[in-house]
Amino acid sequence: MRLSFVANGVRRELDIDPTARLVDVLRLDLGLTGTKEGCGEGECGACTVLVDNVAVNSCLLLAVQVRGKRILTVEGLARDGEMDVLQQHFIGHGAVQCGFCSPGMLLSAKALLLANPHPSEAEIRTALAGNLCRCTGYAAIVAAVAAAGETMATARAACASEPSGEGAST
Amino acid sequence: MSARPVPGDLKVVGRDHPIADASVKVTGGLVYATDMELPNMLHAKLLLSTVPHGRIIRIDTSEAVALPGVVAVFSHENAPVKTYSRYRMLPGQNSCPEDETLFAQTVRFAGDRVAAVVAVNARIAGDAVHLIHVEYEELPVLLTAEESLQEGAPRLHPAGNLLHEFDELVGEASFSAAGAVEVTTTVTTPRVHHAALEPHTCLADYDESGKLTIWSPTQSVFGARTVVADLFRLNYNQVRVIKVPMGGSFGGKQEFILEPVTAFMAMRTRRPVRLVLDREECIFATMVRGATASRVSLTVSVDGALRSLDVDTLFDAGAYATSSIDYAAMMAHKLTRLYRVPRYHHHGRVAYTTTPVAGGCRAYGAPEIVAAMEIAMDQVARELAMDPVELRLRNLVHPLDVDPLSGMSLGDARVRQCLTEGAKAFGWSERFRAARGGGRYRRGVGVACGAHKNGILSADFPDFSTMTLKMNEDGSVALIASLHEVGCGSLTVMKLIVAEELGISPETVSVTEADSDLTPYDFGCYGSRVTYVCGAAAYSTALALKERLLEAAAEVMLRPPHELRVGDGRVETREGASESLSFGALVMAAKTQLGEDVIVQHTHRATSNPGAYSVQFAEVLVDCASGLTRVTDFLAVGDVGQAINRSMVEGQFLGAIQMGIGFALCEEVGLDDGGRPAPGGFKNYHVVNAPDMPDVRVLLVEHDGDDGPYGAKSVGEIATVPTAPAVVNAMNHALGTTLTELPVTPERVLAALSRGEGEA
Amino acid sequence: MTTTTEVLTPTDRPGLTRMLQRLTADSRFLAGGTDLVRSIINEHLRPDLILDLSAVRELASVGLEDGGLRIGATATFARLEADRLVRQHARCLSDAASMVGSRQIRNVATVGGNVANASPCGDSLPALLALGAEAEIWDGDGRTVRKPIKDVLSGPGRTTLRSDQMIAAFVCRTLGDGARAAFVKIGCRSTVAVARLSMAVIVDYDSDAGLLSGARVALGAVGSTAFRDELVEAALKDQPADVRTAQRFAEACVEAVCRSIPGRYSLPYKQLAVRALAYDAWNALRVCPTCEPVCWD
Repeated sequence: MRLSFVANGVRRELDIDPTARLVDVLRLDLGLTGTKEGCGEGECGACTVLVDNVAVNSCLLLAVQVRGKRILTVEGLARDGEMDVLQQHFIGHGAVQCGFCSPGMLLSAKALLLANPHPSEAEIRTALAGNLCRCTGYAAIVAAVAAAGETMATARAACASEPSGEGAST
Repeated sequence: MSARPVPGDLKVVGRDHPIADASVKVTGGLVYATDMELPNMLHAKLLLSTVPHGRIIRIDTSEAVALPGVVAVFSHENAPVKTYSRYRMLPGQNSCPEDETLFAQTVRFAGDRVAAVVAVNARIAGDAVHLIHVEYEELPVLLTAEESLQEGAPRLHPAGNLLHEFDELVGEASFSAAGAVEVTTTVTTPRVHHAALEPHTCLADYDESGKLTIWSPTQSVFGARTVVADLFRLNYNQVRVIKVPMGGSFGGKQEFILEPVTAFMAMRTRRPVRLVLDREECIFATMVRGATASRVSLTVSVDGALRSLDVDTLFDAGAYATSSIDYAAMMAHKLTRLYRVPRYHHHGRVAYTTTPVAGGCRAYGAPEIVAAMEIAMDQVARELAMDPVELRLRNLVHPLDVDPLSGMSLGDARVRQCLTEGAKAFGWSERFRAARGGGRYRRGVGVACGAHKNGILSADFPDFSTMTLKMNEDGSVALIASLHEVGCGSLTVMKLIVAEELGISPETVSVTEADSDLTPYDFGCYGSRVTYVCGAAAYSTALALKERLLEAAAEVMLRPPHELRVGDGRVETREGASESLSFGALVMAAKTQLGEDVIVQHTHRATSNPGAYSVQFAEVLVDCASGLTRVTDFLAVGDVGQAINRSMVEGQFLGAIQMGIGFALCEEVGLDDGGRPAPGGFKNYHVVNAPDMPDVRVLLVEHDGDDGPYGAKSVGEIATVPTAPAVVNAMNHALGTTLTELPVTPERVLAALSRGEGEA
Repeated sequence: MTTTTEVLTPTDRPGLTRMLQRLTADSRFLAGGTDLVRSIINEHLRPDLILDLSAVRELASVGLEDGGLRIGATATFARLEADRLVRQHARCLSDAASMVGSRQIRNVATVGGNVANASPCGDSLPALLALGAEAEIWDGDGRTVRKPIKDVLSGPGRTTLRSDQMIAAFVCRTLGDGARAAFVKIGCRSTVAVARLSMAVIVDYDSDAGLLSGARVALGAVGSTAFRDELVEAALKDQPADVRTAQRFAEACVEAVCRSIPGRYSLPYKQLAVRALAYDAWNALRVCPTCEPVCWD
């Protein structure tokens, strides 16, 4: 069947098996292998992507469910060759070791900051409760997300106080 | 080792650095084995046994073969039946029973390989696996080591169920007139899943020239080559194993589980074949940390001095031997690295069972045996009404002690310093004596000490690493070595060491990973050898390159070498740096004027294997009504010599503690009464998630260290050694119980409390 | 095996009704998709038809109707956790929703899917039972019937629904002013865990008299389906809101568990831990100062 959706800002039209999972369509049909499969049962979060700004496990969605929607994967976080604030903070805080959980963590964090720009540590941990990591013990990741939130808040405040108000890219 | 710079002089070593490929990882650009695409690639799925023990009477693959898109179906009927050991790294290696085949005719555990389908895509391969019909004649199951070693138990392997027995005895008990207490306790540890986020994967290709290429996230390319080449009777130069990026392993990718069968499928189909396991398969059909039971008997003077330590360990190897002889034997080599014990006796038996295969797992027996020892030590402390920290201080090893068992020096063993500094930073005395609460929620604190090692050097075996370092025409360098990055930042460590020594930026140092055709020999990433031995090799190879630079510069600048020195990215005259040549200019001059390259190859041989140490403190809050335990505070102290990449050293502790808390509280690869694993991957196998991780402080004791680069010692394995007993000791402190069965689940807590074992 | 699956995506009830008529035993509904995807992968399922409910807007709506709360079957748990009306009028359900899986799961999984899946551990079930909710069922003939939830659940993983029937909504009366509601669960860890024990409690509380007049209690994960227990409810009905009532309530819960899963492997643990569950629920109602179970004296 024909499926059309927007992935990382680009409109896509594909012929897919109706029972194909979103994770497979992203990885195999679109070659967006940044989204990982760690468990196939929605427990580890490595496959997390955003569908209309909301975090979902792409291993538990049929591709048909994203018809007409906007998908964000890890490949879509950077814009115009510049990394997203979250990505920068992940690097700066030592939040990346083996890297397999990182795409999912970044997307879960992205969804959180879009909905809640000033999350507490507890809120961050809750948002990441469905993203498992075996390397970092989570602390550096939580710190990176908190710092990213603060950076974005500072940038917004700076924008708001500027007379010409050009939007900061987030 | 020559005098090393004072830490204050270090420019890059000792600071915080992100892992070198972090930007590739956070943009989703790193290509792991599951992301690779090769032209004409086929996809494989395995059919695994649902029966824990049985003879295959019939396999019907006809429906599977007929499914459109299926290229081949394999089983014991059309595959070699030669046996091999998935653990053997070197030809003729001892303790590697060859008891495994590509596909079983007799399945030995629920998860054993029965068949494989190769198809044009993974979905079809999975559908076809579902169409294979197998009839088994079921045979008796033996689910514990104890059951398996009983008189009259059914024989699982021709030579019987006892795979190995060892008995180590060293020293003599010191007896004196003063009183002594004896404490005996048995501690059991569970079968555990490594739970690396990346599932097990292997890709292989075979071309018409007879060259087999394997891409694998393995911890040893040369080991994989040995097993595969020997199995298929290929020359070693016909088998090329390439280490590809890895999403964690923790020991789970150090044995050659998928390489043989994947290679076989590539050889038969003459096309690239990729095999990816799903999470359930990773949990029960790759390898597990083997279950253990250790009875520990301690005889201790009333003043707290250990007199005699007797341990009896029962180790469950699971269905195949793999590394279990060595692994279990290693358990006997930890405690005398930790404590001064006049007499140490350790008897052990390793048994086959019809359960998932035990294999290497982080710290290789140390977490298991140290859990037993440290829980027992706390019981001694209680017997003697002595502070657990005081008791340990009485008995821990001192720097330069010699391990009586191995005869090796423990080097700059700073475990006592870790304990005293940690106790102070944790506020141990006040917290240990504080009221624990008598209500629903009870708080407790616990401490545990752990020991491990730095490399695989022993009295019978060397440890060494060979590296090549070349300089490019612009002064940047390439370190060509068989490194195996598991995700903890080893490649970055090597960059930092080389950069530090040459006075150049780490961005100008590139480091390879292992490729058995291209990079010089190295045993692999295991045995806590990478920083200590490979890092030392990088250091001394960098020194060798500096010598070469001076040598070449002397010729080019027409000055004796002793008048020159290596500065930051240049060679200059010692006096006033009046003349200098940048590295790049020097390389160009060497090429064009001398017809020479600036390149060195160096082998570093380890001469020591000192102790690695960590002391950890836990605070827990136990809900006596539900049995759930929260770790509410945690402090880890590491005797690391010198942190090379500080943020990654801390990161390793944090990850290791997550693993250790799981080991203590909730991780177990469960089997039902019939020997079948619980269905579901992470749904039923719980690892600690972000909300449940406590705040963890990490203190590093950076004393002289030994022969590692800048005095650095290993971190990744030792960091998880004392974690679980620190947590269990804290629970026993909170409740007044003597919990000794890991994981200490809510069931076990409530069962103990309901038996009246706790104190209010 | 290789027949192509057809995906039907109705946009309104008439379209939905026509498609319900076409469903066979091999057809599947698509709401959140989490259970369906697992079936497709684990059982190598290729449904002949997938009936995608996402485009029928009224199935996802939440609102007040005829003095009651109507919750569309395809409302997600994220929606129920945050919705002002659910939090106000069916607090135990919004609490239960907040404890389903992870954020990613809650964003997608639906309350209707949870009920239709009929897991003994399903988090929404005790809450819906305690609320006295009815399932509004639509069928292929265009009929609408309402049935109490307990009459829809027929066993672990089983409902009484025919292949041409589906749950369209849940309706329940709004709780009165004096009502207090809570949902608690105990898993193997604090978050993202399947329930090993769960409970929804609703009491009518007269704060002036300090009296509990009515009680509805449903237990989950201790039996083949979630259920309300009359004896547990009797321990609360017309009782003072004090520590003695809390104790009797806990005891009644213990007895209910023993009655419900005799001989089950998990009984020794659950009959002890349900005491914790009972106190957690009691304390969440906040009808008196926090009570503690007496532990192991």
